[in-house]
Amino acid sequence: MTVDAPTLALFGLLASPSAAALLALVPNDRVSEASARGGSLAAFLSAVFLLASGTSGQWGAYLGLDPLSAVFLIMVTGIYATSSWYSKRYLRSVHQPFLTPQVYYALVSAFAFSMVFTLVVSDLGLMWIGVEATTVASALLIVLERKPSSVEAAWRYTLIASAGLTIALFALLLLYTSTGTLNAFALAARPPPATLPVEMAVALALVGYGTKVGLFPMHTWLPDAHSEAPSPVSAMFSGVLLPTALYAFLRVYRVLPAPAPASIRYLLLAFGIATALVAAFLVQRQRSYKRLLAYSSMEVMGIAVVGVAIGGVALYGALLLLLAHAFAKSAAFYCAGNVLRATGTSKIDELSGVGRSMPWTGAGWLLSAAAVTGAPPFGTFLGELLIVVGSFEAGLPWVGGVVAVAILIAFLGVNSQIGRIVLGDPTPRAIAVGAEREGGFGVAYLNLGVALAIGIASLPYLSRAVVAAASLLGGRGP
Amino acid sequence: MLLGWLAWTERSVDLAVLAGLAVVVRAAFIPYVLRRQIRAFRWRMRERHAAHRVTGHALAAVAVAIVAWFVFQQTLASAFPQVGGALPFVLLLQGLLMLATRGNTIVQVIGYLEEENAVVYAGALFAQGFPLFVEVVVFLDVLGVVLVGVILSIQRDVTGTLEESALEELTG
Repeated sequence: MTVDAPTLALFGLLASPSAAALLALVPNDRVSEASARGGSLAAFLSAVFLLASGTSGQWGAYLGLDPLSAVFLIMVTGIYATSSWYSKRYLRSVHQPFLTPQVYYALVSAFAFSMVFTLVVSDLGLMWIGVEATTVASALLIVLERKPSSVEAAWRYTLIASAGLTIALFALLLLYTSTGTLNAFALAARPPPATLPVEMAVALALVGYGTKVGLFPMHTWLPDAHSEAPSPVSAMFSGVLLPTALYAFLRVYRVLPAPAPASIRYLLLAFGIATALVAAFLVQRQRSYKRLLAYSSMEVMGIAVVGVAIGGVALYGALLLLLAHAFAKSAAFYCAGNVLRATGTSKIDELSGVGRSMPWTGAGWLLSAAAVTGAPPFGTFLGELLIVVGSFEAGLPWVGGVVAVAILIAFLGVNSQIGRIVLGDPTPRAIAVGAEREGGFGVAYLNLGVALAIGIASLPYLSRAVVAAASLLGGRGP
Repeated sequence: MLLGWLAWTERSVDLAVLAGLAVVVRAAFIPYVLRRQIRAFRWRMRERHAAHRVTGHALAAVAVAIVAWFVFQQTLASAFPQVGGALPFVLLLQGLLMLATRGNTIVQVIGYLEEENAVVYAGALFAQGFPLFVEVVVFLDVLGVVLVGVILSIQRDVTGTLEESALEELTG
């Protein structure tokens, strides 16, 4: 019996993080660390191969790949790899961690596996299990630093995300009762008529998965979990967990014949616009730089949902935005992690001028803050520009206007606060930090480079896959 | 009971095992752990102004039940004509109400379990043959056990009780 290369790569994609999770439990710090790094690299290379080979199709009744899953797989495995790499330095600075390094690395790999699993299954029920499994795998990671606020954040996260996902399960029950199948590929190939139960299923899926995406008003777990989690995990939360939940919704959304009914599109618009605006305003009043970054992620998710609602070139922009944002936001969290390790505080008021003692981290943080808020020439700029242009093309100029306002407000809020932390007059806490010796900024610059490359170059295979993914959802390339 | 009845009528071993699991996890394990937790538990045990809000909570629960029933009749009743079809939707919304309006951790667990039961009930009632039904319910049970068994224990052991100042980081 011969096994073809794509099947082997798919197997590698699933086997690498799961094997890494098991190996990490070997009672040796070096083995645990190496297993996470090796497993994540193997998973990333498998994802790159599947993207480059343009693999598409189904394996049996439950596994399936297409350009949409391929694009999200690159995001998830890429950030899993860089977070695994960055974790070693970060863990060294945590005093009396709640988890041993073995359990930490095992949970990080299990968390990545649950996201990869969500992206490679073709059955919506299994996809739901994958998204729910991300909660189980990641909740304990939030309490690593053993603070009461971390435990409270983990509690809120588990409860709110699970409650939301219960609504998503209700949506799947409705969909199954109406269509008789939950195979996402079969439903997309032959969309059922848009009856009231099917539309209600999509609307409930938006609310259910939207809770995990961080859409307003179900977003309350997001800033707590992102700010209390260790920085490498925050990077995975912000960069790829939210998009993975959005992916699960997109699979349900795709069940509707394109273009989707106006009622559903307006519902998406309402959630997207409200999320982007609320997050943009909340950015202004943050006292913790990690919460600041969390609200910035929420704003980006809102804008991406607007892009999905508009369709056309805006949908392509939304996918590009998610892709570039994943790499840029993880870079911002790695830099924030460096500052937190060095200064011991995440309070904005207590920090100013850290760029003098940490020039590499400071510069990386400034650049990544600009990147996540859509500054040119990063890929996020291109994505947001296409969403605004797309809304004008679709005859919805007011949507483009509101989105532009939200982008501008968030841009000013994030960059002014991080700019002050890095470039302001040094505070005693910033002066007390020794000269930057430990490093830990390499992966941040690497991810920043990817976010930049997405904006200025047509990356081989990736650009083609993003256009194909947008086409699958009823959108188109520029 | 519904799962047991379904297992009997459909002669399904899977559903029989699931019914047994539901009894063990939902009727025995979780109530047992919760009872033990309540004795030693001080984390978010008290709610602000809880005592004089009991009537308000009861009235809100009744109002939500009526609204859920009315919305179901207007939208989905024709698609789900089964007797008691509105009940899962009423339970779901009541669970959500409990999660959203109560600050007590134990009550929030009960709200989550109510939601979970609503989904299992809806699955058994409407979507017989729902693929992965058994797996989904088992997974929800696992999550329930993780929620109740692990996180509540961590909450109790980390500091014993939750001070307002400890949550300063979670504002904004």
